[in-house]
Amino acid sequence: MLDICVLALLAEQESYGYQLAQALDAVGVGPIQGGTLYPVLLRLQKTGLVTAEWREGTAGPARKYYRLTDHGHTALREGGRAWLSFVAPVNDIVTKGVAR
Amino acid sequence: MNANDWLRALTAELHQRRVAADAARHVVAEAATHLRDGGGDPWVVFGPPQQYAGAIVESIGTAPGPRPGPVRLHATGITKRYGRRTVLRDATLTVRGGQIAAVIGANGCGKSTFLRICAGLLSPDAGAVTVSGRLSYCPQSGGTADFLLPDEHFVLVGAGQGMARGPARRAGRAAARQLGWEADGNVPARHLSGGTRQKLNLTMSTLSKPDVLLLDEPYQGFDQGSYVNFWDQLSRLRDTGTAVVVVTHLLNQLDRVDTVLDLTPAQETGWRAPGVQGGHQ
Repeated sequence: MLDICVLALLAEQESYGYQLAQALDAVGVGPIQGGTLYPVLLRLQKTGLVTAEWREGTAGPARKYYRLTDHGHTALREGGRAWLSFVAPVNDIVTKGVAR
Repeated sequence: MNANDWLRALTAELHQRRVAADAARHVVAEAATHLRDGGGDPWVVFGPPQQYAGAIVESIGTAPGPRPGPVRLHATGITKRYGRRTVLRDATLTVRGGQIAAVIGANGCGKSTFLRICAGLLSPDAGAVTVSGRLSYCPQSGGTADFLLPDEHFVLVGAGQGMARGPARRAGRAAARQLGWEADGNVPARHLSGGTRQKLNLTMSTLSKPDVLLLDEPYQGFDQGSYVNFWDQLSRLRDTGTAVVVVTHLLNQLDRVDTVLDLTPAQETGWRAPGVQGGHQ
């Protein structure tokens, strides 16, 4: 699930680890520690879904920026659809159950 | 342990696990950047260095290990008796350049005897040892000269290889630094602590750039940091193609060695780790 979230965030704009962690926290996915996040990023990089580049930002030191590849966009669309078709019925059931 | 210590420990762990040097540098730099941006305790943010290094290996794998080199040490069918007591029975070990072999087993099962036979200091009652290349042996204790300074030890070892005093001293100090020891002091060996004397011993054994390095529990008296440096140093020697044989009773290091010779008599254990070469069969 974290893979899909990271891909979705990177589809909006390229980003680096710490910024992604903050974004995930801000949208309510929860605080994701570096020890969890970076292995995911490295795996995405290794499988070619993202590319990475060390670059100086507008302010501050050099950071490793991740960017979605075409392959990553495809994986996000397919993985995202699979995720949505999984959570939709779960949502329905839980929503009904809670309303009763 | 502060952030820098944690990053150093992570570097060592990645190196031990043979993560490609380039990839390891990026992983450490990225963790450092993250800690600088967000602060926080690296033990909480990333977890213990060993655990994080393990997660990294799962994500990106390891560099293909250097192809093991030629066979440097081949000991076969080594049997040694003292009176009626058989200390070693039919022990066999083959080590190639670029490999670390651990010799393990309970006290008194002949680990040191086996190493002394490999070094040619002791004759076996049966069996043969073939060594290809230059051999160096680091005994469990002794081997240092009480009244000489560390520098004078380096000069002495250097002289054996026709090395001038200055370069020999520099080489010795550089090798000592790999073990986290500044060896430029004016303290004769007899006044060094047990652990430091062992570092001197170990340093000398690596100075001749041996093809085969035999180490008999050389880390006695080492503190935790020195012990980590010691295993880092072994990894470096392995990566430069040295065949290393190390006697150890500390089994927690066995994941970092390429081959294991267990000299514990078979009836006592019945257990054999994968990759274990034949001791008593």
